[in-house]
Amino acid sequence: MSDLSVEFDGVSKRYKYFSLENIHLELPTGSIMGFIGANGAGKSTTIRILMGLVHQDEGTVRVLGHQMPAAQAAAKLDIGFVSEDMRLYGAATLKWHMDFMRPIYPRWDQSYADELARRFDLKPQQKIKGLSHGQRVKAALLLALARRPRLLVLDEPTTGLDPVARVEVLGELMAALADEDRTILFSSHNTLDVEQISDQITFIDRGRIIDSDDKEVFLDRWRRLRLILPPDVVVPSLPGVVEVGGSGRLPVLTTNRFEPAMVSACNDLGATVQAVDTMTLEEIFVANVHSRRERLTA
Amino acid sequence: MHSDIVISQSDGRPMYLQIMEQVKQRVAVGEWAPGDEIPSIRQLAMDLRVSVITIKRAYLELEREGVILTQQGKGSVIAPNPNLSPQVYHDELSERLDEVARLGELLGLSSDEIARRTREAANRLNEARLNEAGLTKEIV
Amino acid sequence: MNYSMVKSLIWKDWYFQRQAILLALGGAAVSFGIVVFGGQPGFTIGLILLITVTVMISAMTMIGNTIGERENQTLAFMMSLPISYVEYTTSKILGNLLIFVPFWLTVLAGSLALILVSPVIHGFFAFAIIMAVEILVSTCLMIAVGLVSESKGWTISAMITGNLTLNIVGYLVAHIPGIKEGLYGSAIYWNSTATILLVIEFALIALLLGGAFFIQSRKKDFI
Repeated sequence: MSDLSVEFDGVSKRYKYFSLENIHLELPTGSIMGFIGANGAGKSTTIRILMGLVHQDEGTVRVLGHQMPAAQAAAKLDIGFVSEDMRLYGAATLKWHMDFMRPIYPRWDQSYADELARRFDLKPQQKIKGLSHGQRVKAALLLALARRPRLLVLDEPTTGLDPVARVEVLGELMAALADEDRTILFSSHNTLDVEQISDQITFIDRGRIIDSDDKEVFLDRWRRLRLILPPDVVVPSLPGVVEVGGSGRLPVLTTNRFEPAMVSACNDLGATVQAVDTMTLEEIFVANVHSRRERLTA
Repeated sequence: MHSDIVISQSDGRPMYLQIMEQVKQRVAVGEWAPGDEIPSIRQLAMDLRVSVITIKRAYLELEREGVILTQQGKGSVIAPNPNLSPQVYHDELSERLDEVARLGELLGLSSDEIARRTREAANRLNEARLNEAGLTKEIV
Repeated sequence: MNYSMVKSLIWKDWYFQRQAILLALGGAAVSFGIVVFGGQPGFTIGLILLITVTVMISAMTMIGNTIGERENQTLAFMMSLPISYVEYTTSKILGNLLIFVPFWLTVLAGSLALILVSPVIHGFFAFAIIMAVEILVSTCLMIAVGLVSESKGWTISAMITGNLTLNIVGYLVAHIPGIKEGLYGSAIYWNSTATILLVIEFALIALLLGGAFFIQSRKKDFI
């Protein structure tokens, strides 16, 4: 029994105007991975391939031990999936959806579903078409969580939610992880959410995975060094510098391989280190993407 | 056991450091005594809506510093003799003092003048604390 | 193949189309009323009404529950359930046929009853059966096209094509040697020509539905 919930190996998918190339992904059981990428980067396509909704052109996909897309029916018994473009049946009520799903999923927990309805402030008797966007997202999430899945796959779960609803949803996602066998993969634009609750983070840009690691490693490795250079000193060459900004005498170096020894190294080379700034996940992502795109066009 | 720990998103420091500081503060004011159980890593992750990996890191560092003890499979407790003089504070002090030295240099101050300014700042803080205590005394 | 899931899916489709189905049943009841109380012309008028209701209900349910999934973006929700294209396709084909077939059988029984009751048109017996099965074929065409294309335009075109071919086929069959001789006679007959035509029609049904199933299995982008 693999301790990886999701494994992508050399997965490619080619469309006319876009292709996913050589996607490699490993998601350990019990962890939560945030999937960050610009619009059109390939997040949704990757997630659809994970769910067996789209068949890859190359490579293997294993989800909860099942080969995808061949064994998708068996895999989906243990998966809760919510995507931004998914809709429930507008003419039916939330209660109808709960009654519909209860006999399908062996681990369906109706008391948990009722509790979630209370916490999310949803009325089961109300028709789906009468719900606001945020309420619909929460309803879909309720249906995904109440089946007590081993894997939660969420495509933009907090997009379009007001701040209060966002906190509620994040809380429920973290609560779901109280079970150590449960795994979550979610894609998001909202780097703040990803930064806060993710164990692992994967960056995707233009159909390729550009970085994937533990969140704390990202936050440790990336720094901005603000230097003051005397007139006759050149910018020191440091490992992992992806971007050099600022002015000639006051350069700002962005590095993805920071070590405390760099500070003394700079001082030795005559450059004063004015500050060493940590970077938010958003800044790390943008710097990563920019440097990569520049490298490709160079 | 609910932790009552509150973290700030706008605090520029890494989250694991914030958590470490709050645990140590609770020990310092006596809310958590040596031997007391503290929330498990997963429990705290859920309460704070912070990733397990961040809490793990905070607990690991706290254990290294001797503030807590983690018993295999049984959760974590405050250490019998929690060591609260944290290396982190010393490191931060060194960093800040280096900054003070640099700024002093930019302003063209001599090292004596910089030292004098530092002493003045410490005195100011001391006075403020005495005033607080004095006021409290008066009320009582 | 997960039978209980197929059942759930079919039941779900029927639930969401319960109003249309009830309306069609009402229309059928009205047709019966006309047949019973309409005397001699009532028989034919009632029958034509019944055929109209049958054609309409099959088109409505097809468009409603298959094209509707894509239009209302519920396809992603459906496919997030523990099913594959097998259960999905089976539920759509079976679900729509199971609504259509009872109406269709009633039309067939009604037509045959009409023929048996008046000796002067006994000769139409074989023809009526062949044409009734032809209606079944054109409905299967519409189901297959709707399933594979997921487009309202294509489905309606298939429906129109089916209706047109019905007329053409009717004309052709009425003139095939083996059928045309006894058509206007007053004797009920059945021969090998009729059997062959029936076999061809059922083969077409198998081809259409099997073909639709096969194409669904090859779809690489279900969403």
